[in-house]
Amino acid sequence: MEALNQLPRVIAAAIRGLFADPNSVWADLTMTIIGILAVVIVIVLAVLVLVVLERKVAGWASLRPGPNRLGPIGWFQTIADALKIMSKEDIFPAGADKLVFAIAPAIFFCIPIMTLAIIPFGDGMVPVDLDLGVIYFFAVSSIGTLLLLMAGWGSNSKYSLMGGIRAVAQMISYEIPLIFSVLGVVMITQSFNLTDIVVAQKTIPFIFIQPLAFAVFLIASVAEVNRAPFDLVEADQEIVAGPFTEYSSIRWGLFYLGEYGNMVAVAAMATTLFLGGWQGPGFLPGWIWFWLKVGVIIFFMMWIRWTFPRIRIDQLMHFAWKFLLPLALLNIILTGFGIYIYRLVIGG
Amino acid sequence: MGEASTEELIVNLGPQHPSMHGVFRMVVHLDGEIVTKVEPKMGYLHRGIEKLAESRTYQQFIPYTDRLDYLASPCNNLAYVQTVEKLMELEIPERAEYLRVIFAELARIASHMVFISSAALDIAGWTTWGYPFRDRERILDLFEMSTGSRMTTNSMRIGGVQNDVPPEFWPALQSFLEDLPDMLEEYYGIYLGNEIAMGRMKHIGILSPETIKDLSLTGPVIRASGFDYDVRKAEPYGIYDRFDFKVPVLNGCDTYDRNMIRLYEIEESGKIIRQAMENIPDGPVMAKVPKLIKVPAGEVYHRVENPKGELGFYIVSDGTQKPVRIRIRTGTFTNLQSLNKVLIGNTVQDLIVIFASFDAVLGEVDK
Amino acid sequence: MLFGKGLWKGMRITFKKMMKPNITEYYPEVMPTLPKSVRSSMGLDPAKCIACGMCATACPNKVINLTSEKDETTKKKVLKSYQMNVGRCIFCGLCTEACPTKALTVTQEFENSVFSRDDLLWDMIERSKRNGKGENA
Repeated sequence: MEALNQLPRVIAAAIRGLFADPNSVWADLTMTIIGILAVVIVIVLAVLVLVVLERKVAGWASLRPGPNRLGPIGWFQTIADALKIMSKEDIFPAGADKLVFAIAPAIFFCIPIMTLAIIPFGDGMVPVDLDLGVIYFFAVSSIGTLLLLMAGWGSNSKYSLMGGIRAVAQMISYEIPLIFSVLGVVMITQSFNLTDIVVAQKTIPFIFIQPLAFAVFLIASVAEVNRAPFDLVEADQEIVAGPFTEYSSIRWGLFYLGEYGNMVAVAAMATTLFLGGWQGPGFLPGWIWFWLKVGVIIFFMMWIRWTFPRIRIDQLMHFAWKFLLPLALLNIILTGFGIYIYRLVIGG
Repeated sequence: MGEASTEELIVNLGPQHPSMHGVFRMVVHLDGEIVTKVEPKMGYLHRGIEKLAESRTYQQFIPYTDRLDYLASPCNNLAYVQTVEKLMELEIPERAEYLRVIFAELARIASHMVFISSAALDIAGWTTWGYPFRDRERILDLFEMSTGSRMTTNSMRIGGVQNDVPPEFWPALQSFLEDLPDMLEEYYGIYLGNEIAMGRMKHIGILSPETIKDLSLTGPVIRASGFDYDVRKAEPYGIYDRFDFKVPVLNGCDTYDRNMIRLYEIEESGKIIRQAMENIPDGPVMAKVPKLIKVPAGEVYHRVENPKGELGFYIVSDGTQKPVRIRIRTGTFTNLQSLNKVLIGNTVQDLIVIFASFDAVLGEVDK
Repeated sequence: MLFGKGLWKGMRITFKKMMKPNITEYYPEVMPTLPKSVRSSMGLDPAKCIACGMCATACPNKVINLTSEKDETTKKKVLKSYQMNVGRCIFCGLCTEACPTKALTVTQEFENSVFSRDDLLWDMIERSKRNGKGENA
């Protein structure tokens, strides 16, 4: 299994070796481009699976089989969905702001690509190894808020505007507990680099040392990616589809895929920070352990979605500012005390 | 600098809307997210049933009454048939009376189950939608076995019931009644006992007793505001005075109580069906009436307790085979007149939830 | 306030449901068995029909059109043609109850969709020749 673990490194070294000077700028550039292409392929494959998985989990929860006509037991459903979306007419509302309306979906799909590029999928498999990984992740995912507001404003429709405003309120409120809950992990490992954080979990994953932070992170991340029970942004029954109402064909497809991509990115981040990344017992290679852990977190998110109803906007704000934020701050104080006592006792 | 001026937003919650309750249209005036005025516009499902009645005989009109409140069609049939029998002063065999009670209470349970699933859908409880519908399938199978059709049952005739039930009806009904408490536990566990649902539905949509008295509302909606009035107890029709059941009354006046009271009503209907099953006698199911019914001249009004309110039929007849005028007084049409009083001051999200708790079926509203 | 037993109970219920087998009926691979009295379609037995016209009188919507001729030898009416305009039918079953000889009955065929409006004018005598007496699904 060690050979499978090291397989990506071997391939990377082989490709570098093709160049005359293995450390030249051209070699670095090629490796980066290959890394980004790999991330894009990973996202597309993941989304392909997730769309069907969501509908199947929804079916299982209500004693139905879910999609079961296309492909073996229905797993090719996404291909049919993608073809259907691409064949629809592209409608441009009459008074829409052309530039704003057109840019929003295009950049929305780039956000999960940018955030997944820094996450270590396995031993040495990081497309871009940044020293400020954690800060970069949250900075980029905040752009999503602005894009939803652009979509809501540019559509020139009352439902979209209401949806856009709700999106801004929700996402701003939940980013703060999200970031604070990560600070405990950073205090323990003394580094923002994601590879260092995974390596520091060799002995014990951080979920056992920081259970409160894990709970806060999970809830705040469900709110960040607009999934039920926090999906007021696209509340079907009240404001039709929120900021996405006036989009059709591939523009809407990009929003839809971008939402699932965001879900994968946030689950991958939770795995890296709290569950130990790619590490696990030796009978499976590291990159398979990573995807298993991501799968567990995504299943948990889907399970929550199909069980609970949606909460109201003022209750949402109460919950974020009066409940999650104090818990996150409490976690930081406790971690500080814990580190101080550890140093006193161990003296290191 | 003066203050920034804000405009009122006028939104059309139009006949096509993902919040399912039929084709109902409301023009809502919003100030931010708070509702200031509501204009309901009804009539998108008008089919002219009262006018059609003038050119049909009394027997031929029974299938049309199915389609008023299509989720509880035996109850509508019962109201119409009892009105005509009141004018004709007809006596009905005992077995037919008991069968009518069983069908009407089963229809009440089915209608309340649809209410629970559609109210849950309005606050995005997608899984909750499936469970009452799966249980309602058993009731629809019972209807199919005995009357021939699942929803528009056409089960009652002037003088009795359409036909006797087959022998496999009774074991199926027995097993359904035994599973009923577990079903109610499940609905409570996944939807009404949920903290999120409670937080959404408590203390909003207050329907005060003064509004109820002014606008003469009826149905479970008023029993959730402390009014103890049920036509089955106030003016018993058929053989309802022989059954021992309670009328549930809650005092909260809010949306949560309007949801909970229907759970209690399902339980009480189960009790009535059990008592009817034990006491049903043998005998014929249809009285001796001529094939083409002629009703003596006169006017009559009769009302029953529908799952949604009070359903009343007023028939004017001049002695021939076709009525001169039939006027239908439905519960939902009157209940929806109170929308303006109940919805003002709530947000858009609450508007959907409160409207769902009124349990509007547009077939009844628009006739 | 928001994090209590009610939420956990709901999640347990959903999880248990995921583990159970599903209850979907796999139509069209598996055909449902309908009870005998289901009013999904009508069938005529021309041998029993005495062309009395009670069914046409009982129908609320004037769906049935029948013509008859007098048979000279037995002096009784004989059925010539029998048409139902199923597009206007509400499947109430009053016609089958009015028939004195039980020639018109309900059948259990439920796959009745057609592609054009003209196919909705059913000629009942033709349909009864399709599979014996036009009775079973």
